[in-house]
Amino acid sequence: MDIHVRIVELLKKEKTFCLATVLTSNISDVRPGQKAIVYDNAAIVGSLGSTQLDSDLAGLAQKAFKENKSQVAEIEAGVKFFLNILSPDAQLILCGAGHIAIPLARFAQPLKFRVVVIDDRPDFASPSRFPNCKIIAEDFTAALRDYHFSSNTYVVVITRGHEHDADCLIEILKKKTIYVGLIGSRRRVRFVLEMLAEKGYSQARINDVFTPIGLPIGAESPEEIALSIVSELVCVRRKGSVQARALRNAVGIDL
Amino acid sequence: MNDLEIFKKVMELKEREITVCLATIIETAGSTPRGTGAKMIICMDGTIYGSIGGGCGESQARSAALRCTLITQKPQILEIDLTDDLGTKGGDVCGGKLWVFIEPL
Repeated sequence: MDIHVRIVELLKKEKTFCLATVLTSNISDVRPGQKAIVYDNAAIVGSLGSTQLDSDLAGLAQKAFKENKSQVAEIEAGVKFFLNILSPDAQLILCGAGHIAIPLARFAQPLKFRVVVIDDRPDFASPSRFPNCKIIAEDFTAALRDYHFSSNTYVVVITRGHEHDADCLIEILKKKTIYVGLIGSRRRVRFVLEMLAEKGYSQARINDVFTPIGLPIGAESPEEIALSIVSELVCVRRKGSVQARALRNAVGIDL
Repeated sequence: MNDLEIFKKVMELKEREITVCLATIIETAGSTPRGTGAKMIICMDGTIYGSIGGGCGESQARSAALRCTLITQKPQILEIDLTDDLGTKGGDVCGGKLWVFIEPL
């Protein structure tokens, strides 16, 4: 099968994988331009013709996966690969279709987030309020439980009440995510986080939740808050969540 | 264009038996408009899909791709220097360098 067919299939299925391309080679059976796919479980499609080379390649790809960074790697003297980490498109799930969700959905789309809006109130979760978004007008728990998350899924929890926030996070934290943010006052957030700890979620997983949400730019209006949230999403995408936290901490967060 | 769109386009062009080259940024240093992994398809008639950052860097990649398709038929690594002086008219002044892998598909 043409390797491009496989690449398109994997991207459509929202898989994360490494596309390894030979850049230079002094081995006669390995030619520049030759490609192999390495999965995150180290399986390879398109063997290089030697178990040693395959296992070296899988090892280098693992390093690239861990760093989440495409890179050039030398497998042995003179044999260089480009290890391209291909991930699904960023997906942004908005739990809550209130007044912040509207500008947030609007700002996120041109920034290449595929936006999904969930709310149990059909009047709020409606296509007229959220053009070009996927709308799920259902109970939060059921909607989130059934929804496919990828390693490139961003979730913003902005429901109308802290009980709903808690319901959402119970489902969200069971899944793979790249970002989870929770809006709310110190009191409201504390209630939700304590409840998660009581439910048995590890402190490490609870600490993954960005709360209060958004970069500290002093946002007040719904549009400003949406801008601060979307800035945080871009920061996580481009610089990683560690940097995004460092930025929050450097400025300090008011509550 | 994202990666899915790029590879779908590659398949579509190949089905139409159009000869194509793929240019991929494999490494960057300093300031460059687009990062590692950005891709651009160059067809034999010069048509381009996707972007590796626009400007003169892109036109260098396009020329190299056409040379690669028409003459050598071999992949190559192209070094593009964007460190022209700020006064240069139409110059590449971002300040960085990028390495682009150009391959006939």
